[in-house]
Amino acid sequence: MAGVAKALHSAQGLSFTERLVAQSLQTVVAEGARATWGLLLAATYGVALGTRSGGAELWQHALGVPAGLASVALVGVPSLFVFLALVDAPISPTGALSVATRALSVSGLMLAGLAPAAALFVTTIDSGGIAALAGGVGLLLAGAIGLVHLLNGLSRQLVQAAPVVRAGGNAALAVFALFAVGLCLRVWWATLPLFGGAS
Amino acid sequence: MNRDVTELLTVTNELLRSPASVAERCREDSDLRPLVLGSLLAIVVGGALFGAALGAPRGALQALYAGVKLPLAMLAALVVCAPAFHVLNAGLATPRPFRAIVALTLAATGRAALVLLGCTPGLWLAMDVALGYHQAVLAAAGCYLLAGIAAFGVVARGLTPGLTGMMTSLAFVCVLLPVGGQTAWMLRPFLGRPAQQEVPFLRARESSFADSVMTSAWSAAGIYSRIEHEARELDEGVTGRSRVPVEDRIDAFR
Repeated sequence: MAGVAKALHSAQGLSFTERLVAQSLQTVVAEGARATWGLLLAATYGVALGTRSGGAELWQHALGVPAGLASVALVGVPSLFVFLALVDAPISPTGALSVATRALSVSGLMLAGLAPAAALFVTTIDSGGIAALAGGVGLLLAGAIGLVHLLNGLSRQLVQAAPVVRAGGNAALAVFALFAVGLCLRVWWATLPLFGGAS
Repeated sequence: MNRDVTELLTVTNELLRSPASVAERCREDSDLRPLVLGSLLAIVVGGALFGAALGAPRGALQALYAGVKLPLAMLAALVVCAPAFHVLNAGLATPRPFRAIVALTLAATGRAALVLLGCTPGLWLAMDVALGYHQAVLAAAGCYLLAGIAAFGVVARGLTPGLTGMMTSLAFVCVLLPVGGQTAWMLRPFLGRPAQQEVPFLRARESSFADSVMTSAWSAAGIYSRIEHEARELDEGVTGRSRVPVEDRIDAFR
């Protein structure tokens, strides 16, 4: 009991940003809250992209940007966990959940931080192609940083495993990385009007 | 009052002489108020005087406009970049309080503005005596480069030491360069084209900073097809007929 209280106290002592990027938040509810915050923060980047045309596109972008991240978290991570479990990687479901929500919230945080710059570019650049490129760079950067956090977090848990297990786990992570990039780009391409989607 | 002025002068001196101690103050999140005030003052004064010197050859009005717009451009770029810096530092290194990152970027920009202030008399004299429009643009770019290097000295020391800090600093630069460029692009003209009759506060929205850099790069490489294409479009728009290539015109006289 004293340990729980201490953990809670230390979690309360963290700033908002520190809580989003913390290794683990102890409870599933806290991890869920962190993932929700990540998605909400990602939506601010969508709003920033939507300012180019305004109106309904504000909402389309605000939903589309987090949709890309959510699709990877909801579709890709469970699948990855299955394959990691098949090769007997020493990763628990709660461990995988922590790593995934952390990656999601880091990406969301990145996107929220880059949102003012994205709004500046998409509203002041005349050419639609260059505006899309500027918006896309932010998405790729935030997505890549989140993915690196996810892969680092999971591969750290493989360090103690036997060489064969580690090799299998790393192969699964490599395939997952390609899948995650492909899926995220596909969703963004299909849903964001800035790139010609959902129009 | 006297104490405040002394404190501001001390901060200015510290910004110029010891970027390491300024960075240390930001890292430890201690005694930031005078540092932030001093940096803001440096940005306003340094930016305004440098801007005024840039606009001076085109007259008092251009000098006034540029003197107002340059500090605005610097501060606007900071406002846009500060959240990005905060999250990049949190994502790539370790999270720091937002005010520490803001203080660090303000201090770095303040140092850059002081370097610009130092360059102002020389640039003004050179523009007054010898430099044409294009040379003046290049000279101003050189001053910005010098100021950027001075600012980078503060930022690099204020972040986590080692490879992570270096990567974060580079990420900062990757965000700041396009944002700063686009902000300044929106607020141009600073020098004012010699052929332009009137002095506008802002030029009409056209293209983008990135587009302009690309066009300039092509031009520098001697490839004018893009400019030629635009000129042809403009010509057709005005005269209503296609422009005859020079070779065909020469052939017609033969």
